[in-house]
Amino acid sequence: MIEDDFYRTSSQYRLWSFTEASLKAQRATTNAVASDRVRAAIRRAQEARRSATSSATGTPVPEVDGGGGGSTSTSTSKAEEKPIECLTPEEEQQTVSYYCEQIIQLGEAYKPPLPTIVRATAIQYLRRFYLTNSPMTYHPKQIMPCALFLATKTDNYYMSLRQFADGVPGDTTADDIIAPEFLVMQSLRFTFDVRHPFRGLEGGILELQAIAAGQGQPAPHAPPTQNTPELLRRNLFALPPPTTTTTTSTNPQTTTSSSSSTTSTSTSTITSSTPATAAQIKDRIARAHHNTRELLKSAAQITDVYFLYTPAQIWLAALMVADPPLGEFYLDTKLGTPPTTTTTTNDQTSGQLAALRAKLTQTLTACATMLRSYHPLASDPEQMKTLRRIIGKKLYHCQNPEKVNLSRPGGGGGAAGAKRIPAAAAAVAAAAAAGSGAGESGTSESEMERLAKKRKLEQGAARSKDIFGGELVMQRTKGDHH
Amino acid sequence: MAVSPSVLYPASYEAKVTSTTIKPDANSSENSSYQQNQFPPSHSNNEREITEQLNDDVRLKYIKDKRLGEGTYAVVFLGHLRTKPASFVAIKKIKVNAEYKDGLSMDAIREVKYLQELSHPNIIALHDVFSSKDQNLNLVLEYLPRGDLEMLIKDTNIHYGAADVKAWMGMLARGVWFCHENFILHRDIKPNNLLIAADGEVKLADFGLARSFADPYLNMTHQVITRWYRPPELLFGARQYSGVVDIWSMGMVFAELLLRVPFVAGNTDLDQIAKICEAFGTPTEDNWPGVTKLPNYLPTDSSHVVPLQGRDFFLRQFPTAGPVGADLLMSMCTLDPKKRSTACRVLQHGWWSTEPKPTDKKNLPRKPDGIEKMGHDLTRRGGEVDDTTFKNAARQLNFSGARG
Repeated sequence: MIEDDFYRTSSQYRLWSFTEASLKAQRATTNAVASDRVRAAIRRAQEARRSATSSATGTPVPEVDGGGGGSTSTSTSKAEEKPIECLTPEEEQQTVSYYCEQIIQLGEAYKPPLPTIVRATAIQYLRRFYLTNSPMTYHPKQIMPCALFLATKTDNYYMSLRQFADGVPGDTTADDIIAPEFLVMQSLRFTFDVRHPFRGLEGGILELQAIAAGQGQPAPHAPPTQNTPELLRRNLFALPPPTTTTTTSTNPQTTTSSSSSTTSTSTSTITSSTPATAAQIKDRIARAHHNTRELLKSAAQITDVYFLYTPAQIWLAALMVADPPLGEFYLDTKLGTPPTTTTTTNDQTSGQLAALRAKLTQTLTACATMLRSYHPLASDPEQMKTLRRIIGKKLYHCQNPEKVNLSRPGGGGGAAGAKRIPAAAAAVAAAAAAGSGAGESGTSESEMERLAKKRKLEQGAARSKDIFGGELVMQRTKGDHH
Repeated sequence: MAVSPSVLYPASYEAKVTSTTIKPDANSSENSSYQQNQFPPSHSNNEREITEQLNDDVRLKYIKDKRLGEGTYAVVFLGHLRTKPASFVAIKKIKVNAEYKDGLSMDAIREVKYLQELSHPNIIALHDVFSSKDQNLNLVLEYLPRGDLEMLIKDTNIHYGAADVKAWMGMLARGVWFCHENFILHRDIKPNNLLIAADGEVKLADFGLARSFADPYLNMTHQVITRWYRPPELLFGARQYSGVVDIWSMGMVFAELLLRVPFVAGNTDLDQIAKICEAFGTPTEDNWPGVTKLPNYLPTDSSHVVPLQGRDFFLRQFPTAGPVGADLLMSMCTLDPKKRSTACRVLQHGWWSTEPKPTDKKNLPRKPDGIEKMGHDLTRRGGEVDDTTFKNAARQLNFSGARG
């Protein structure tokens, strides 16, 4: 058995790997189903409200004052007539991406911070969850903390729910966090293992360090230019400098071609330029290691690469982004140099290796392009503006009213065993909670109407705090400035 | 690590979802005749969420029959495929623990997580997972009607020999190797977690204590593996350990198969250490560098230091294993975990190819009434001690103690 055979038995391959087309189709289906259901649910709520108002002998039911939201019964009835505009699949994706970034932030807030691997697993859970669910059905702010808590359990970073809840900012309770657990697990199709690229990167870096120390192991089919540890070492030391614009100061003498062209990256030929010193190479590997890891922690998490590529492809592509010549060099040590150089492919093995290399390069280039395309949402005003429109406005109007309350009605305690209540029962529960809070609500209200009210109350209150409607968001931006 | 040569693959998602066969072979990507439309058409059944529909698809594949066993943690039912009444499965329904406030328990999470990833002839197959009403988790497991190795070891009416032991150990070793190759530690290997299929194949079960290898320098708990099968480094409180903890357990199973009683059966953790020292020798900085630095290491009374046992000790204790078998056992029971054989080295050992050849699995000794035993085994929580085992064991120990 080779590594690929093992990978193909993994749930990540069996259930969570896609082509770009199938991934897109999946999201379109989910969006279409959710949109239909949201429209139907909102219509049901509106009808219930209408019949309730007409039966209430003309007396307009006093609207709950959402803390100065200025919402009166007239304005809401006007809103009812408007067609319901649902999120597009792209908007859904942006929304989910935003909450994935929030997971990174939330994990950072713990003392000590949650391990990278736990956060990465949680992000993949959230992304997988939203392949078959829509943010319109389940708001990511409800699902996100649960995904993170589940990841602490599945990745052996054990903490109690209470401890975990203490770290979640705002008034999110332990019950709120655990309520959607079963829903999340079911949406993950009860597969909890996520294969990350981090361990592969560590292995690759160890290999590069060994090569730098003259202890590299030549590949079985290594060509004569690199079939001893010493030749490997010499090739590594003769590498052209990284062409990416890395922030840290590099060798000042080397300001060669600037852009990302991959032409001159063939490395096996020992160039005439002065070879680097051992310290420089050590430093370079360390920098590549750090930068690659940063890419894996951010871009690899928030883009679709986990759905489209294997962990090995992901870390290799990230290394190619962080330090292209070093990445190419690493591939050279495994597969020999690309066929474009002087070596003519006369024997079969090198021909096969060359074909493999070409295929791999194509895949890695595509993956690297995707990684490069990522720009953090939170630090980009333009993207944040778009998000504010999507999450703050649009999602607010197309949230499925029947799915708002996931947790058991208040006071019941024991969230763990909390059975997920069917929508109708949830409506009653939510209405009961809202009714006790709002006090003056008339007894003639139908459940649906009370539910709709409850939703308005909740969202109105949240909205008054922050246009994003989430205490997490508030907290995050507060803690963001250091 | 090797560069993974696979490039863009066809999505095998559809194949798995719609497949009606039990577990598709590892490479199921070819038979994805149901391209796209993984999910029911969007307007067919608007009452259910997509995930609920997917769950129903799985749930409706099976029919639950009679109850096989019930424990505090789970209930096990016999079941079969709706489309194929002769294809039996065991359905393990995990009880929602109302007292555990933190959601699904770690045992259940571990078991589901690892069995979802492991597909090997010597590891119990998890065909499917689905939820039934009231959020109960149902694991559809391979049907293993022939009980477990513990049952065979204890039944004095069953006679078996070196060739049979070799067959069983070979199957165990392959299962453990596969776990380790997938970076998974089982951490509870013992005879009653080794279940037997209708065709005689031994299957490693109960992954309630399993976990992935920790990254270097990260700690793991040492409170794992049933005591009699627990290696000395865990008894000394090591927080960083490797796959060879499972190899020690395998060695203990090997010894027990040969002796037909547990080889080192301590009453307490301290007693277990004492018995291990007595049997295999006292760990010292010489034979196990670093042992005295382990958190729970206890210095031995210098008058009680037992020298490290050599090959002739094992040959004397386990004559049925033969010299090569004794050598293998010794390599599995090496005190110093760094010198203990890995699963790979165990498989490369010469014993497998020396005479006698392992018994063909269809000719292995069997017990007819294993179904109940399976029901019983599967209801245990990970790491949970089987009461009856220990009652018997206690009796045995007292008995031997009385004799001297």
